[in-house]
Amino acid sequence: MGNKHSLMLQDSDIKSIQADTGFSASQIERLYSRFTSLDKGNSGSLSREDFLRIPELAINPLGDRIVHAFFQDNTTSARRAPHTSDCWVNFKQFVRVLAHFRPIKRNQENKLNSREEKLRFAFKMYDLDDDGSITRDEVLAVLHMMVGENISEDQLISIAERTMLEADVDNNQMITFQEFCTILERTDVEQKMSIKFLK
Amino acid sequence: MAAVSMISKMTGQRFTLACLLTLILVGNSSVLVSGNTIASSTNFFSPNETHQTTSNFTFKPTTAPPAERFPVIVEDFERVETPFIISLWIFLACLGKIGFHMTPKLSKVFPESCMLIVLGVIIGLLLFYTHAASVSPLTADVFFIYMLPPIILDAGYFMPNRLFFDHLGTILVFAVIGTIWNALTIGISLYALNLTGLFPMEIPLLHMLLFSSLISAVDPVAVLAVFEEIHVEELLFILVFGESLLNDGITVVLYHMFEGFSHLGQENLILQDYFAAIASFLLVALGGTAVGIVWGFLTAFVTRFTKGVRVIEPVFIFVMSYLAYLNAEIFHLSGILSITFCGIAMKNYTTRNISSKSQTTVKYAMKMMAQCSETIIFMFLGVSTVHDDHAWDTAFVGLTILFCSVYRVIGTLILCELCNIFRIQKIDFVQKFVISYGGIRGAVAFALVLTIDKEAIPAQPMFVTATIAVVYFTVFVQVRVATSPCLCRCVLLRHRTIDYLMAGIEDIMGMAGNYYVRDKFKRFNTKYLEPCLVREAESSEPKLLETLKNIKMEEAMQYMKNQGHPPEQIESFAALYRTAQMAHVGQPKEGGGFENSWNLDVGELDYNPTDRDISAAHFHHMLSDEYKPIKKRRGTYKRHAVTDEELAQEVPHIAPREMQRKPNLNHHRYHLRKFKEGLNGKAGVPVQKLNGTAIKLQHDYLAEGMRDNPAFQPDDTDPPSYNGVRPMAGKEYKRMSVKGPVLAETTLPWKRDFIVDPPTRGLQVQRRTSIDNNNEHTPTMAEILLPWKRAHDDAVDGEPRHAEHPLWANNEHYVYTDSPTQTFLHMIGDPTKPSVHDVFHRRNSQSSLFSIDETGDDGPDFANPYVGRRNSVHNSPVREPGRRRASASDSRRSSLKEDNFYRSALTEATRRNLLQKEGNAAASDPASRRSASFDKSLEPGASSGSLLNTAIKEEDLSRSSTTPTPSRPEEHVINMEKYDRSKPKSPHGDETQF
Repeated sequence: MGNKHSLMLQDSDIKSIQADTGFSASQIERLYSRFTSLDKGNSGSLSREDFLRIPELAINPLGDRIVHAFFQDNTTSARRAPHTSDCWVNFKQFVRVLAHFRPIKRNQENKLNSREEKLRFAFKMYDLDDDGSITRDEVLAVLHMMVGENISEDQLISIAERTMLEADVDNNQMITFQEFCTILERTDVEQKMSIKFLK
Repeated sequence: MAAVSMISKMTGQRFTLACLLTLILVGNSSVLVSGNTIASSTNFFSPNETHQTTSNFTFKPTTAPPAERFPVIVEDFERVETPFIISLWIFLACLGKIGFHMTPKLSKVFPESCMLIVLGVIIGLLLFYTHAASVSPLTADVFFIYMLPPIILDAGYFMPNRLFFDHLGTILVFAVIGTIWNALTIGISLYALNLTGLFPMEIPLLHMLLFSSLISAVDPVAVLAVFEEIHVEELLFILVFGESLLNDGITVVLYHMFEGFSHLGQENLILQDYFAAIASFLLVALGGTAVGIVWGFLTAFVTRFTKGVRVIEPVFIFVMSYLAYLNAEIFHLSGILSITFCGIAMKNYTTRNISSKSQTTVKYAMKMMAQCSETIIFMFLGVSTVHDDHAWDTAFVGLTILFCSVYRVIGTLILCELCNIFRIQKIDFVQKFVISYGGIRGAVAFALVLTIDKEAIPAQPMFVTATIAVVYFTVFVQVRVATSPCLCRCVLLRHRTIDYLMAGIEDIMGMAGNYYVRDKFKRFNTKYLEPCLVREAESSEPKLLETLKNIKMEEAMQYMKNQGHPPEQIESFAALYRTAQMAHVGQPKEGGGFENSWNLDVGELDYNPTDRDISAAHFHHMLSDEYKPIKKRRGTYKRHAVTDEELAQEVPHIAPREMQRKPNLNHHRYHLRKFKEGLNGKAGVPVQKLNGTAIKLQHDYLAEGMRDNPAFQPDDTDPPSYNGVRPMAGKEYKRMSVKGPVLAETTLPWKRDFIVDPPTRGLQVQRRTSIDNNNEHTPTMAEILLPWKRAHDDAVDGEPRHAEHPLWANNEHYVYTDSPTQTFLHMIGDPTKPSVHDVFHRRNSQSSLFSIDETGDDGPDFANPYVGRRNSVHNSPVREPGRRRASASDSRRSSLKEDNFYRSALTEATRRNLLQKEGNAAASDPASRRSASFDKSLEPGASSGSLLNTAIKEEDLSRSSTTPTPSRPEEHVINMEKYDRSKPKSPHGDETQF
């Protein structure tokens, strides 16, 4: 099956993706087979529904955000072609997003899986309105998603407030990306946000 | 011990060691004596004749009378021998620990376990050369059944679960493959060398493998003892420690396997035995784990129902995990694995079921038992070193050590490479080095080697010697690596986010990775396990809540510590004011808001808290958030009282206040004196100096106002003119009765009613009492955080309700204080009570003092506004600390209701007096007359007059005349007047208003 799908992938495409993301050719083929299996409509691109059809993702509290990140990355990179960008993700974009989660290797530098890019991806999980900063309400909303219903509103607000207090260094009531990086300075994001992609 | 430590500081290490040695000797001499007595006693008497035994049991048996009399004193050491010796050992070891940690040089170089072994050796030597006692009551069985479980339980229960399961794969590789590798290579290498005839006796391959299997296991006890102490980084710790825990299963299996094989004899083995061995291996490891998990869940389930009997909660945890251990041991399953997983499985649920006190108990008891066991084990190791039947063979020992080290290194390198293929976080060179060094052999190996049957395996003494040598070698050679980082809450939060994120990405990728499994388990846990095992499964993120709670506690503690210096995150009232101002005026004022154009009003003046006041308030709110209110109760005694409520004293909540007050008391007094001087002598200017002195106001607009106000200028220069329009002029303010909202109430956020509208946009605050209801302002952090800032829907018909007035302000214990807070708060709670200026002034003008009868009997009289009983009693409770204290204690006895009544009457009277006095001042002093006339010129019925004005006038009064003139009640009108804010002020009013 994978073989059949890989036939649909042109060598030149693989090359360009390889250059772009740093995946090996076999990894790209593997990803492509996954891509096509997700693509129920065989349209060559994925919609939000395609993503949310994955049962685990559908009940993942951050599922929406994750799926949104695929499309959002899209909108930033594909401003030039706004029509195609919004509701569909093609394979290149799909791989580009996943490339954020490649483990960092010392010898091969790639801008997509750098520490900063990984952090930016995590940042996007919180940045609900995509304005480049996290407000208290956004923290609260994400908390709502994650902890469910049975924690009291007061406590959530308290947590959100404390998070803001701790993170918001310049006291402008929002967490910028810089501040976000500062908080996670001591976390080994490189390790935590990496997936072992099968060869 | 303090003395010893002092001495040790002075004379240094040597002296401490000497002390230590003497202590040991003392301890030993008692052991020796006891040993002798045992020997003698056992020779002579049978255990049945206890009475005779004890009566005759003296050092001079001849002196004992043959006739049986009732003995005055009996000595029966035999009865307590074993526990006595054990206790003595623990005692000695703990003394040794104290001494060890008092010598920093020593404790830097060696881990504690070394010291314990050395101590054991010394004791062993003493026992040996005096031929005193038999070695010890500790045998391999005692070790496995009593000593080992506490240590392993401690390790399992406090295992960092997350870390452990993150690296489970690597740990398993090390534990299973690494141990088998070590056992085989060491055994075979030794056997090969044995064939060359290097060793004194012929050892068959199976015996050699038996030995190598027990020597190859990394010992959890030693690893814990050493690694915890030298603070290795967490990855290394979990790898080596996890390995040491899990490889026990392997070791035990290998050991029993080779032991069984040895018994069977090499030539009798058939294929079936090998398969049986492999099956047994799986069964032992997995069975032990399963038994542990089942018992763990059982424990969690049982603790679900312990709410009524908190005291026995720890018992369940200890006993049931011990049962898990023993249960596994019944079937020769791995007890270590069993108790480890029991701890891991139960921890998440039990910690949520049991009370926090029980948690602490469990924690400390577990740690303590583990420490004791560890201590005994290491000392036992030391003591057992010294005995006769060592079969020292340099070649064998040396080669064993060599092979242990070499194969450990080789195995580690190979396995690390193997793991690195699958690991995202690679194990680097230094870590490999440490892991290979971390192969510490310890007590487990030693206990196992002691259990070898000497008859079946003739080389046992040699094995014992070699094992001891290896243990010594590995324990004494150590490394040090960096400490592990700590997590803050933000990172914790984001970890969770990252978990979900990665799980989602793995879903998209369609792979079943680490996160996928974790996600699955978490869901299963929340759905099925927690409802069964946890009493109140309140949230899916118990850790988050726990962290929050801890942080709150920490902050409370922090407040206790740096009282008066609150962290910057406190939302100050000044900041609140600014926010409100911004919301109303539209643009922020530079310099905090109170400019010339601001008229200071009562409402604005009434609360200008100091840093300390705010911290006190904040602290109390935090406490009231965290702790339940303390109930009045009768002094009953409950033997099983353990919970907070049961143990609560009657007045513990006074303690914080006392602690807050005491250090600042002197400053406070000093400040008051300064203030008095300022008002008395050089008006205006010294008040500014207040800023720099002890009480630092959050926003000293009072002083600012005074500075800018012409009334406070020493010379009567032209006052700065107002532009005639207040910043608030654009808004329409309804004139109200005295009960209606004053300017402050409409301006200041904490004066208003709030309607909380939580759904999406946080808080929307609506002002109810003022006319422009549309005026919303962004909620400040304090409004969101502080509970008394939030919604209260029980407001009565537009009456300004001061819900923010904190609950503790009504506490009777707080009312007998002359702090500015108190007087300010009075102002908030009840406008008829005096502001701080009244109090200050009352202290000032001694001559015109209107004091109140302290007893409170006359209280009701004061309710009459114009009675104003002057000079009735000269000692006001406010002025005299001693009296105040007396009255406070009185009030504790009296009921709260009476107390409040008295208090309100008192303050009311004070205020009336002041008003009267002010009237006098207005009559006598031209300046104040002018201000009064101005006040009168304003429209009557407007907002109540400024009490600052009162203060000023009184100050004038005190300058001009010291004797009070007869009161003129009609002058009070000016103080109750309100002015219309919509109406521009007349220019001439600037002279007196500020």
